[in-house]
Amino acid sequence: MDLNFTAEELAFRHDVRQWVADNLPKDISHKVHHALRLSRDDMQRWAKILGKKGWLASGWPKAFGGPGWSAVQKHLFEEECARAGSPRIVPFGPVMVAPVIMTFGTPEQQQRFLPGIASGEVWWSQGYSEPGAGSDLASLKTRAERRGDKYIVNGQKTWTTLAQFGEWIFCLVRTSTEGKPQTGISFLLIDMKSPGITVRPITMLDGEPEVNEVFFDSVEVPAENLIGEENKGWTYAKHLLAHERTNIADVNRAKREIERLKRIAKAEGVYDEARFRDQIALLEVDIVALEMLVLRVLSAEKSGKQSLDIAGLLKIKGSEIQQRYSELMMLAAGPFTQPYVREAMEAGWQGDWFARFGICAPLAGNYFNFRKTTIYGGSNEVQRNIVAQTVLG
Amino acid sequence: MDFEFNDDQLSLRDAVARWVDKGFGFERRHAIAKQGGHTREVYRELAELGLTGLAVSEAHGGMGFGAIEAMVVMEELGRGLVNAPYASAALVAPCVLAKASAEVQSAWLPRIASGEALVVLAHQERAARYRLNQVATSAQRAAGQWQLSGHKSVVPAADEADAFIVPARTSGHGDDAHGIGLFLVEKGAAGTHIQGYATQDGARAGELKLAGTPATLIEEDALPTLEQAGDVGIAAACAEGVGVMDKLVALTVEYMNTRKQFGTTLATFQALRHRMADVKMQLELGRSMSYFASLKLGESAAARRRALSQAKVQLGHSMRFVGQQCTQLHGGIGVTDEYIGSHYFKRLTMLEMTFGDTLHHLGEVSARMTDTTGVFA
Repeated sequence: MDLNFTAEELAFRHDVRQWVADNLPKDISHKVHHALRLSRDDMQRWAKILGKKGWLASGWPKAFGGPGWSAVQKHLFEEECARAGSPRIVPFGPVMVAPVIMTFGTPEQQQRFLPGIASGEVWWSQGYSEPGAGSDLASLKTRAERRGDKYIVNGQKTWTTLAQFGEWIFCLVRTSTEGKPQTGISFLLIDMKSPGITVRPITMLDGEPEVNEVFFDSVEVPAENLIGEENKGWTYAKHLLAHERTNIADVNRAKREIERLKRIAKAEGVYDEARFRDQIALLEVDIVALEMLVLRVLSAEKSGKQSLDIAGLLKIKGSEIQQRYSELMMLAAGPFTQPYVREAMEAGWQGDWFARFGICAPLAGNYFNFRKTTIYGGSNEVQRNIVAQTVLG
Repeated sequence: MDFEFNDDQLSLRDAVARWVDKGFGFERRHAIAKQGGHTREVYRELAELGLTGLAVSEAHGGMGFGAIEAMVVMEELGRGLVNAPYASAALVAPCVLAKASAEVQSAWLPRIASGEALVVLAHQERAARYRLNQVATSAQRAAGQWQLSGHKSVVPAADEADAFIVPARTSGHGDDAHGIGLFLVEKGAAGTHIQGYATQDGARAGELKLAGTPATLIEEDALPTLEQAGDVGIAAACAEGVGVMDKLVALTVEYMNTRKQFGTTLATFQALRHRMADVKMQLELGRSMSYFASLKLGESAAARRRALSQAKVQLGHSMRFVGQQCTQLHGGIGVTDEYIGSHYFKRLTMLEMTFGDTLHHLGEVSARMTDTTGVFA
């Protein structure tokens, strides 16, 4: 048992830290450190910088052009990025669909799609949830009918994150109604410029159009865009879900954000108030415990042992912590989170108002926005079902 | 970064687990508890396994093992609900005595390692709660001999111990950080009065009154040593708590898969399944922070104390939640004396109040907070 990273791992961390310091644009890290609005350009600019270095595909094996990092190196890389204030990598391409293409796609599909994902050139979206299929994802109804060398897709996806920017979308579609719901699902890659696709933004409770409805009206998709076999899509999707585990806890971002919470609490004069400070202390304990949990999972992966039965806990605890720090930031600012001034979310906005309340501007919106964390990616209640299964059978 | 146990640690774990399986069943434990919690006999058996020498250096006849080995043993003792004063006598006492003169070390450490001598920390005072620097017991030197006067409370195995490690003031007063000495007081020394009693969790403790009692100085101005010893005690309590929770959760899982109501097992009800998911969460957060506690014991005082307080806050929450919820999930049987689970619950409850409870350590975490947070912060 040893808590410390090896000398090689520490040297790796040092190199990453230096590179990120040299390459992360300051205007972007400023926005991240202050929770200001990131544009599509901000997100993609950073993705392309990483892509050029070969680090956007941080989890990929060397065979597919990734750096071939160990789980620990990947963790350290994410930690350094978070610490420096880089935007979260939009995961749909490099983290979610790429491993599926690598594992189940044909060589042609791999050559066609992976380079654009690794470079950050192509923006991917995820078409899973539907109006009638949330936690019960397998009940999805979007149909894909095979006609010759094409699929004709009809239906609707929803809660599609940042689909307004999407160029490609990977979808779970129904290709059969026979048997169990899970057995009639296929995994299809769809060009979002295809005729018949309509994207309609949904304004969320923080006033931002973060997610969308995506409508498919007789959209023609070449059959060569099917991943693997027809009706096996559920298996591939499960592979995808199993692939990213420690990342979902987002403990590295939490460590950065509690530092911001402390700064806000100091600025608002509640840091030295025992009742408030104790709440930060409680959160601090939670974050250290979550980090230890993450390190245990990484250690198990490193030693090649079967994964611990604790991976399912990471999403639950990680999301609760995200909600908690956003809540405490809002409470620290109190009534000064009341004004709703959308321009104040933009970097460089300097009204009279800003000088007074600038630090408070995004806090209520962040809090409202973060209610999503216990809902998306499999609601925490669904996660509890999964954890209970490992405990009780 | 590696959380695997090595072969030595695994065989140590096996040895304790085998002894528990063979020699320390619930009936034996229950009988001991009912008769007042005297465990000197049990302690002798732990000594035969070599466990009492775990933290004593090889030079003094021990094994010279470290924090992880101690953690492994505590987890297993917790799993077996072993009610002997092992943590105080075999882990905390050697930590303090390592600061004593060579003469005192030679006189006591070999006997502690062999299990012949049971030496416990007697640090709690009625008015101090969990503050280690709040010491009223006084130490005065007369004719080259230290003499202690005061009253130490809830001393583990007080009426079975051979000697006590006693913090007492050589100068200053109240909560002054300076002027706290650590002394060794032998059983039967002049002016001692001991009143033993059973504890809620089936072990034994007692009151130690000192009136001009002759004592041997271990270290002057010893608050840092006392704090370090307290942290060893915290890590031990955390590890024991993990073992206790592990077993209680296993019992609860078994019960839920057996007990039927409304025509089906309890394990099929979603409300109860979600509760178990929450229990599992608290168990694993607790285990993670118990590792953290033991792994941080060797750090500098400031980092160590912050880490150990963080760990004790997590374990405090975990132990209370797991204890209460597993009791609830058992229904009526869970609140009876005959059921083994209720005794695990009681031990968890008492462990929360060992070496500082959750609120005390939350205060410590709060006071020691810096700008950065994290395992390596």
